[in-house]
Amino acid sequence: MRSSNLGFFLREALKNLRLNLLMSVTAATTTVICVLILGLGLVTYSHVGAFLDSIGRDISMTAYFPEDFSSERVEEVRENVEAYPEISEVRYVSKEQALEDFKETLSEQPDIVEGLPGDVLPASLEITLNNPGDSGAVAQRLQDEGFGEDDLRRNEELVESFETFAYWIMLILGTVTALFLLASVLLVSNVIRLSIFARRKEIEVMKLVGASDGFVRTPFVLEGLVQGLAGATLAALLVAWANSAFVDWAREALPLVPVASGAGKILLVVLILLATGILIGVAGSYFSVRRFLKV
Amino acid sequence: MIYFENVTKVYGGDVVALKDVNLGVEAGEFVFLVGASGSGKSTMMRLILKEIEPTRGAISVDGAKLSAIPRRYVPKHRRNIGCVFQDFKLLPNKTAAENVAYAMEVTGQRRRAIRTRVPQILELVGLGGKKGAYPGQLSGGEQQRVSIARAFVSQPPILIADEPTGNLDPDTSVGIMQLLHRINRIGTTVLVATHDREMVDVMRKRVVALEEGQVVRDMAKGGYTSEV
Repeated sequence: MRSSNLGFFLREALKNLRLNLLMSVTAATTTVICVLILGLGLVTYSHVGAFLDSIGRDISMTAYFPEDFSSERVEEVRENVEAYPEISEVRYVSKEQALEDFKETLSEQPDIVEGLPGDVLPASLEITLNNPGDSGAVAQRLQDEGFGEDDLRRNEELVESFETFAYWIMLILGTVTALFLLASVLLVSNVIRLSIFARRKEIEVMKLVGASDGFVRTPFVLEGLVQGLAGATLAALLVAWANSAFVDWAREALPLVPVASGAGKILLVVLILLATGILIGVAGSYFSVRRFLKV
Repeated sequence: MIYFENVTKVYGGDVVALKDVNLGVEAGEFVFLVGASGSGKSTMMRLILKEIEPTRGAISVDGAKLSAIPRRYVPKHRRNIGCVFQDFKLLPNKTAAENVAYAMEVTGQRRRAIRTRVPQILELVGLGGKKGAYPGQLSGGEQQRVSIARAFVSQPPILIADEPTGNLDPDTSVGIMQLLHRINRIGTTVLVATHDREMVDVMRKRVVALEEGQVVRDMAKGGYTSEV
């Protein structure tokens, strides 16, 4: 393709966009819907993912030191556990601290705890895991250190049901987004095919005058690119706006729920959306024109 | 220039459009292809353009066997043949000048060449004043002139016209035929399919008559019918 041809193709494409304005706008609008669905899906996915992650991080296990551990042994184990790679945080709770905590919990009924000796409660390690799935492995290592099975309070059931829940939420969200995306891609390709069908006579004439397939196709593909990019840009702006509105609202209304603002993430989403729009426009035009080139 | 050898074309398995046609058209000839609707004239035109393939037989155009031309070289083949159709087949969104220019653009010619050549050719067909008009703003005769200008702008060795006057009134038709005649006189091989009896009788050119897909008559300086 010569560079002078590129100018010709661009002029042709822009002129055709103007002349077939209604169809161009229809195709671009349909692309907006399609890309918007994908964008909202991606943003929801990332928010839900971040939220589930933050809940997961709160899940911990507690290891109670057996009575026969000397204070040196306690100190040693504590240091070992802090070095575990699966662990994000360890808090040592001494016997005194445990009693303090207990008293605080029962501050309404002070007589229950009155007169208890200082060492009635065992010292413990409160462990926060990076990944709830590692709880089994960590429990095993703690048992190797000398903890009995009864000394470990694993939130196993909670962890497992939480993981199942997170898995299903993400699966449903992904499936719904994919289905909507599929439907809207079919819709866009239909609109493009319709607009090209309306111009099939034109394509036939071009071919009879001696235009090669590529020569006929290029302006159509450029049109598709412009339509796709225009639709995707609008959709991406809407998604970015909706995301920041949601983050602002959530910070205000749900101060206890951690919401990731994720500026980098939204930029990635915007790029994915623009690429998707262009791909839909270009591929849609390319394949729709191809059907009418066999003259 | 154009040779049909035992060409048969059957559509859809049972509609016989051409039956064992032999025809030779030499360079620089002007030939009328006459016959009723359905006699096979348009089929011959479409075969020459390689729009369709013959069921049996061989066709060669400008020294090339059409069956040997791969699909991707068909556009190049068509650039050697200017075509004029009964329904003009102009691009509705382009002006007269742009329609003519398009035929040059597809061959990748320089913009400067296009800018000088297009007004010349429009002048030649008598449309010098209507360069910027869209097909919808032109009369049938004018549209046909644009289409002839487009067919001829790259000076192809062959020009084929399928019922070029079919949609035009007799006076306008004379002008169109004169234009084709002038194009023939500068050396272009011209093949015109028509059932415009008057035109054929006036022009006194070679006449090939088709009937039910067979060549029934081939006369130099002939008329529409066999009696002279």
